[in-house]
Amino acid sequence: MTSWRPTPSLVRSCLLALGGVTGGVVLGQEVLVVLAAPFAVLAAMGLLSRPRTSPHVSASLDHVRLHEGQGTTSRLLVDDLTGVEHVSRATARATHVVTRPVHGAAGSLVEDGLPVVHSSPRRWGRRVVGAERVALTSPWAGWRWGPHDLPERGFNVLPQTAPYDTRAEVPQPDGLVGRHRSRRIGSGTEFEGIRPFATGDRLKRINWPVSLRTGDLHVVTTRAEQDASVWIVVDGLSDIGASGGIDGAASTLDLTVRAASALAEHHVRTGDRVGLLVVAADATRVPLGSGSRHLHRLQGTLARIRTETRSVAPDRLDLGAGAGSVVYVLSPMFFTPLVTATVSLQRSGGTVVVIDTIGDTMADTMADQPGDRLALPSLAARMQRIERDDRVRRLAELGTPVVPWRGPGTLDTVLRQLARRGRVPKVRA
Amino acid sequence: MATSFRLAAPGVTTPVVALRALVVLLPCAALALALPEVPHWFVLVVVPVTAVMWARAPDHGVGIIPLVLVAGWWAAHGVVDWRVLVVAVLLLGAHVAATLLSYGPPTLAVDPHLVRVWVVRALLAVVPVPVAWLAVRGLDPRQAPAWLWLATAALTGVLLLVTTRLTRSESAR
Repeated sequence: MTSWRPTPSLVRSCLLALGGVTGGVVLGQEVLVVLAAPFAVLAAMGLLSRPRTSPHVSASLDHVRLHEGQGTTSRLLVDDLTGVEHVSRATARATHVVTRPVHGAAGSLVEDGLPVVHSSPRRWGRRVVGAERVALTSPWAGWRWGPHDLPERGFNVLPQTAPYDTRAEVPQPDGLVGRHRSRRIGSGTEFEGIRPFATGDRLKRINWPVSLRTGDLHVVTTRAEQDASVWIVVDGLSDIGASGGIDGAASTLDLTVRAASALAEHHVRTGDRVGLLVVAADATRVPLGSGSRHLHRLQGTLARIRTETRSVAPDRLDLGAGAGSVVYVLSPMFFTPLVTATVSLQRSGGTVVVIDTIGDTMADTMADQPGDRLALPSLAARMQRIERDDRVRRLAELGTPVVPWRGPGTLDTVLRQLARRGRVPKVRA
Repeated sequence: MATSFRLAAPGVTTPVVALRALVVLLPCAALALALPEVPHWFVLVVVPVTAVMWARAPDHGVGIIPLVLVAGWWAAHGVVDWRVLVVAVLLLGAHVAATLLSYGPPTLAVDPHLVRVWVVRALLAVVPVPVAWLAVRGLDPRQAPAWLWLATAALTGVLLLVTTRLTRSESAR
């Protein structure tokens, strides 16, 4: 149990004061009395300022739900500050968490307020903050309580909400209501055309200018508006490259998770139903849903992704979804079984788009050893890259569009092409 | 305030380095006041070495060694001139600098408000120095009654016991 103990400063003052007085009296060295006089004052004041309390110290974070890059403040709570003059705290360094003060040590006089430490996680995932030591000091630096260890606290840091938007339609909206234009004509507000009046048409849809000009009744036709079901498949099997957090280079998993978060947020905000499948050692599947609560669930699931060496790619992707869904597969495509599973999904009738999340990771890896192209790591990286490129090329040849993640507008072109492809009449055997 | 000093460890700010320099230099300066008389080589070696160790670990018990050695050397030579006043101030300065450093880890920035508080306290602690110096110079101990020395010795013993009891931590009781 922590208690108030004399500081080395007080002990030093006491020893010098008593030694000086003793030396002056016993040995007759008057100079010692002169030299010990200031220390006698410090010793006396330090001894008299002894606190009698048993403080209880804890710390709290202002926020426990953060996106990477956001910040929170850790505040100390001391139940009894009687007899305490100064409070100091030193936090332990945590991976991918920056603090202000930079090295995590803060201290202040009690009359100036208790010291605070600002923390900001720089990468999504499970982060730990709050492991720290706290010390209380009495007036005249006579007594110290602590250092007292405070336990660490962990929380999930959600991926950064990367700016993402697309103006392209989802190819196969299949819901009942929503903001996507349906392929079918219905009672929406999106203009489709004008045609002659037919029995059953609503009178309010008659276009009077055209009807007067042509002499026959014409009505305006509109398209129904539907929502879409979107599946996001995240490859959590591997993480290539070193992650520097949001301030530095991004690993493949960084790109994957941030892109998935951006896509999920975009589609949920659009009113679509979004599901998530994490392909990893402990595969996670979040069923289709909508709304901000569901978005939080998706982002929380993304923040918990872990890569493990024992991860094995599945032979098939079990989405439990109908053929009308749009499936985004976010992966650097390093595993052949995942490629096979993606092709199987495409052949089962889904609209599949592969989003390549390799980014500049491999290029950076190879650029690290520019002089030694025959070094084993460089050779392995190049061979892996060649195999991956071949896999992606074959995937594209089989009809699955592959687009590199570029943020806003990444999917515009490919979604328009898929929408056009969906409108082409099909001849079934 | 947060500027890092190149020769120091990462995170150690310039004011912290300045305080550490004071911890090293002030005891040495107190010794240098004796020039042109040169202290014994043992004092000349041990004072700077222990002062450096003290500056590196302000909370360490080694801090008392340079103070005791410097004070002992001046006492042994029986100098009671103005230099004793300066030595007292220099030793107090080193002690206060070490105290300021001992409030937290080396990466803890020096709080200017705390420095001001300690400057005031140091000035207060200096007040009895000239009084004691004048008493030492002006009073003749041979004329003091014998009971005064007995009373002083008894008072010193009582102070020693009281201090020992007060500085014991609760866990040791």
